[in-house]
This record gives sequence, C-alpha cells and structure tokens, in this order.
Amino acid sequence: MDNTNQGPAALDDLKVVELPMLDAMPFFAASMAGKTMAELGAEVIKIEPPRIGAQDRRFGPCGQSGPASETRALHLFLDCNKLSVTLDIQQQRGHELLMRILEGADVLFNPNPPALCERLGLGWRTLCDRFPRLVVVSTTFFGTASRYRDFRGGDLVATQMSGVGYETPFNQVVDPPNNPPLKAAERQADYMTGYTAAAAAMVAVEGRKRSGKGQHIDVSQWLAMVSTIRINVGELSHDSPRAGMHRRLFVRRKTNAGWIYPCRDGYITFRSSPGNFWDGAVRMLGNPEWAKEPIFATETERLKNSDALDAMLTGWFMEYTKEEIFQRAQAQGVPCFPVYDVREVAENRQYQARDFFQQCDHPVAGHFKMPGAPYRMGRTPAAVRRPAPRLGEHNAMILGERLGISRAELGTLQAQGVI
Amino acid sequence: MNELPLAGVRIADFGWIFAVPHTTSWLGALGADVIRIESPKRPDLVRFLGATDGTPGINRSGLFHSINFSKRSIALDLTTRGGAEVARRLVARSDIVFENFGAGVMTRFGLNYDNLRAVKPDIIMMSGTPLGQTGPLAGAIGYGPNSLGFSGISHLTGYPGGEPCGIGGTWPDFVVGVVMVMGALAALHYRDRTGEGQYIDLSIAEMVTGMLPEAMMDFFLNGREHGRIGNRDPDLAPHGAFPAAGDDRWLAIVTVSDAEFASLCEVLGAPAMASEARFGTMAARLENVDALEREIGALTRQFDRDQLVALLRARGLAAGPMYNTAEIMADPAMVESGMNVELDHKEVGRRLIPTLPVTFSGFKPNYYGGPAIGEHTEEVLTGLLGYSSEEIARLRIEGGVL
Repeated sequence: MDNTNQGPAALDDLKVVELPMLDAMPFFAASMAGKTMAELGAEVIKIEPPRIGAQDRRFGPCGQSGPASETRALHLFLDCNKLSVTLDIQQQRGHELLMRILEGADVLFNPNPPALCERLGLGWRTLCDRFPRLVVVSTTFFGTASRYRDFRGGDLVATQMSGVGYETPFNQVVDPPNNPPLKAAERQADYMTGYTAAAAAMVAVEGRKRSGKGQHIDVSQWLAMVSTIRINVGELSHDSPRAGMHRRLFVRRKTNAGWIYPCRDGYITFRSSPGNFWDGAVRMLGNPEWAKEPIFATETERLKNSDALDAMLTGWFMEYTKEEIFQRAQAQGVPCFPVYDVREVAENRQYQARDFFQQCDHPVAGHFKMPGAPYRMGRTPAAVRRPAPRLGEHNAMILGERLGISRAELGTLQAQGVI
Repeated sequence: MNELPLAGVRIADFGWIFAVPHTTSWLGALGADVIRIESPKRPDLVRFLGATDGTPGINRSGLFHSINFSKRSIALDLTTRGGAEVARRLVARSDIVFENFGAGVMTRFGLNYDNLRAVKPDIIMMSGTPLGQTGPLAGAIGYGPNSLGFSGISHLTGYPGGEPCGIGGTWPDFVVGVVMVMGALAALHYRDRTGEGQYIDLSIAEMVTGMLPEAMMDFFLNGREHGRIGNRDPDLAPHGAFPAAGDDRWLAIVTVSDAEFASLCEVLGAPAMASEARFGTMAARLENVDALEREIGALTRQFDRDQLVALLRARGLAAGPMYNTAEIMADPAMVESGMNVELDHKEVGRRLIPTLPVTFSGFKPNYYGGPAIGEHTEEVLTGLLGYSSEEIARLRIEGGVL
C-alpha cells in the first residue's frame, strides 16, 4: 500500500459533511467541493443513499476489476480521501442520524433543490438555527433565492445560459447554422461550482474565527459560470466598442484571434495576431521573406490581411511537428503550446517531472494513477491519504463508534433500509 | 452584522492579466486590504483593453474594472532597488502575496519566496503559471488558452469529427481565480493554527487536467483514449443544444429518463416518437443519437426559443436558452440576483460590475470600484509603510516610485 502520506495537512481540524444529490440530474459540484477539502486533510463524510450509492458511482466510465459502483472513474477520483456513510435521509430515522452527524460538523455541502430540502427538513434556515456554528453551503443550479430556484439545470444548461457556450468553440465558429454553441469536455460547470463552493466555505470558516458563528452560503451554478465571462459583462457595461467582439457569428478569420492551428502531427495553440510577440514569431518562422512584406508590417496591417497571414502560418506549421513548433516558439519567447491528446497528457515530461499524477491503491479497483491537486502547497501538500471508500465502509466507525449506536441497532437499520 | 470575514488580512498583489486580479478582488470584497503593485512603465495590458465609450486611456478599461474592484493600487518600478525595497516593506506588513508573472521573474526582482520569508517569516505566497515553477518546462510562456491545449481539454472539446477547440470566457483564467482563493485561505487557516506560512505553486495546465477525471482515469484504468463528443453525454440522450426559430437561436435540453423523454416528445408535438423502437429506451437513444438529434432539431426549429424553454421547464425538464452577454444581463433572475452591482470609478463614472457569484447570509461584501493606476501610492507609503514625504520624493526621483 502506498496510501501512507500523512504529512501535515492544512485542514485536518475541519469536519465536513457532503449530502448526495437526490435529483436524477447528474450534478457533481458538492462532490468536487468535498474533494477539494478532503485532499487538504479535512474529514469529509459523504452521505450516500443505501444500496445505489451517490451519483459518482453511477455515471461515467468504470474500471473492470470489480462492480461498477466501486470502480467508477468519478467515484475513485472525487471521493478519494472521503469517508462513506450510507443513510436514507428521506426516512425519519435517517434524518435523525444525519442531525447527530451534523452536531460535530464545521461545513455542510448540500446540492439538493431548495423545495426538496424544505420537504426533508434540510432547508438552510432550519439548519443554521439548529447548528449556529455550522457553515451551510447550498450548491444548486440557480441559487436558493432565485425565481428559477425550482428549475432544473446542470452542466450543459449552465454552460449555455452563462455565455460560455456562446463563445465555444472559441473563435472557431465557421458555419454558424451547423455549429451549435458548445460545452467544454466533461463537467466543467459542476467543477467550477464546486471550487467556488469550497472557496466560499473557507471564507466563512475564516469569518467564524472572528464572529463565532456559522452562516449560509448560496452558490448558484449559473452565476458561477457567468462569473467566468465577467470581462464581457464589463465591456458591455462600459460601452466598449469591443463588446461586439463577443459575437459568435464573428468567425475565426474575422476576429483574427485563432487559437488552434493544425500542424504536421496534430495541433498547436497559437495566437494569429501575436501583438508584441510578432518579432519573436518571425524569428521562430526563420525570418522568411514573406514576413517582411508591407501587408504584414504592422499589427493593423496584419489584422487587415489575416487571411493571407493565416495561410502563410498554416503552411509553415504543416512542415513541423507540435513538439518542434513548441520548442522553436518558446526559444523565441512566443506563447505557443502543443495540443496534447490524452496519452500525451498522461506521459508528458513536465507532469512526470512534477509527479502530477498520483498513485492510488484501491482494494477493489486496484493500482492506478489519477490527477493530483490543482496547486502544490509547500508545507501542507494535498495527498492521497486513503482511497475512495467502499459504499458504507465507515458506517461502523461513524454511526457505531462515534454516535454510539449498537451493533444490534445497526443491523435493524440496515434491515429497514435506513443504512 | 457587517463584520467582514477577512478584515485585518492584508494582500500584496503582484498579479496581472486575469487570474490573480480576479482572486484578489474576491478577497478585497470579503474585507482584506488588497494592495495591487503596478508599473506604469510596464502596465497590465488589460488596462488598455475595452476602453470605456471607445476613448482610450490607462484608467478607462471596462475589462480591467470588471476584475479589479475592491482593491488599492500603488505604482512601483520593481526593476529598481528602491521600488523592490518598498515592495519588501509592504510584504513585511502583509499576510498573503500573489503573483502570476513568468517563472523566475519574482527572483529577478529579489522578491521570490525565500527573499520574502526573510522579511516576513510566516508569509503565504502563491504563484500561478501555465506549467508550474519546477520541471523542464517551468519557464514556458503561454496564456490561459495555451494551457488548455497542454492540459488535454482542447483535445476533448469539439464537435465529433471536428478539430480541437478553445473554450469561451478566456477559460480557464477565472477558474484559476477561485481555486487560488481556496488554496490561499487553506494556507491562512493553517497559519492561524500553527504560525507557519508556505509557498503555493499553481500550474494552470495541471489544474485543468484535474478537471478531466473521466478521460484521464479511463486511460489509466483501461487504456481507453477519449475524443470529442460535442454537447453529448456518454450516459444520457438527448443531451444537446438544439436550434430554435430565427437566426442563431439555440436552447439546451437534457433528459435523464424514458419518462422525461416522453414528456419532451409531447411538448414537441410528436408523442409517438417516444415509443419508436430506435428511441424508446435510453440505450436505444444513445445508440441512435445522430438520428435522435436530427429529429429533435427539426422539431425545436419550429418553436420560439424562450417559449419552448418555458414549456419544457413547466414539465420539470432541464432546459435553458443559449444566451449572449446582453441577454444574460437582461434576464430578470440575473437582475434580481444582485451579482451585477453599480460601482463608482474616478474616470468613467458609475458602471455595472459583475461581483461574486455567491451570497453570504452573514455579511454583505464590500464592493468598490477599481483603482486608477497608482491612485493610492502616497496613502499606502505614508499611512501604512511609514515613509516620509521626503523619502517618497527621493524614491520618485530615483524612479523606484512612479
């Protein structure tokens, strides 16, 4: 077993409870928020519906070395370092046990729709009244106070309603009627919401040191995604002439800001109107005669003649591999990276030198690697302290040892489907 | 009620462009005293993007204001000894330092973590770079969208059969913003308990790769290599953006069960479609997803976008319009959310600024308009750092203070 990293941890004095999403719409914001705190040492108890488990065990790809519920990629990744307690919080007895677990908690992440929470006695006002030191974080599609609070959303809906979909693919829309606005790969809106929720929870934990009180934090997936297009909003509200640039129908050749170009063995990212980087770009290209022509002499001219420029650039890129272009560009201080596929990401020398992918040993899923934390903390590094838990693995520890429920009663609860 | 959670925390902000300025606006709104260090000799290029009313000027960028609220600005030339010394004195009075220059630049200024720890032993310092501070490519130069290429997300984003894609909203810069808030506050929490600061190294590409668990884990677990699937979902169909009547009008529709698909078919006026063998079950719809999307698209095209969204929502289905920026701002729920707040700015007046996407029940954040460059130099140097007016005058002549 390699899961022994027990160095100092930033959050090992915090206890976090994460509720499962009870709606059928996949939504992993609370799970990402919990993961972000668990990898820094917080104790995160993930409450899961008995038998079926949380959504992390039910969506996306799975490994082949055991039942799908124990080998799903999302579960192995998002639930790493967490504890699993099964509890049917829609039953009276399950609700009571949840209340007892919350007595010792610092932070609660709750992804459930506001109306359902009210029905289950889990509305934030109820919880804040009962647990004055608890930080209650609602991560919902539209926010608990929004006129849209009862509408369903999720990753795709939030992406399209936030303006991110409108700009994706970024300056590459070539045939608008046949190029629908696009979402980013996987579940970016969920994860963005999760990071936002974790950051906000830390704000309230900090505030509690001064006030002694917890509070409610309302995190809306829609608003979290809108916050990523804030510069568009700023341009619009300042009547900037650039505000019109954020128009899907300005296709790549008109905006002069292509970012992705084909090369001999794939693609690279490169800005076709490189501004201050033009001189370096010309050196990268080997000082070709065409680059000295008057139509490329100034940034204004280059923007005006971007079709011709694009053609010359692409012709050059097609002669070289992405690694060659990357090296040559960086040698001249020009921003240009390769576009890596999954294998190249997994095997690239930069990530390997930094040990970005962490080894995990799981009793069912076996040995595998997974992406590390989004930052390296010098003194309190994020770590794999324990692999993702098996469903209900910590029922005895939390319900039995900590809450003092007898083994006989645990048996009864299991028979009743409460745990 | 309004005790701000970060009151008493001071931030020395060496950031520029998008990610770090967004981070420190969050912290400033939550009560931290954020002091941004800028140089009019090498200004943040964002100060020249998106000029208000089209009139250029270093203090007129709407784009800059939208990510630089709730902070002060001092003007220093860090390439001079005097300027760097003022910066070190500021750090000695600070709790957290942020920067997102290229790897090695802070060292050139004599402001790397070891230098700063010498003047403030428990300082927390956080850096953000495309590929991190260590490894063979540590010094690589790139913007956020370059990092997307490196991370794998561009390869995985795009139409089936199409080319790899960049992502809107200068993704991932504003994701980095909140992730930096999280990391820095975790370090602050640790310092409060132990008295120990630390250095935090964020690689933007690594952060984005860490948001691709399905592709990365499927590769590591099973050797499978994912490609581009557009708006689709591996487990759900329909899951897409469909056209509505008019020019470039679209809506997102997601159904998670056969019953929801039947509701969708009813709303679209084609109830029989739900019982066709090729669409009757989730497995069949996933199998025939090309035909499914074609048929649904032909039907949605007959509807007004917003009317169809309302009809679908009334049936409890997940649906939403594709908005552009102006439509987002006009949405009544957005207006009511209070996320966009009118703030005063010295040169451009009162403008709507997008603030935090989060509401706290315990306090109201402290929002105020972004600074003119160097607006608070005198006030910070005399009030906080104890410089006399003579010393400041000398530093101005020597070029350290601008």
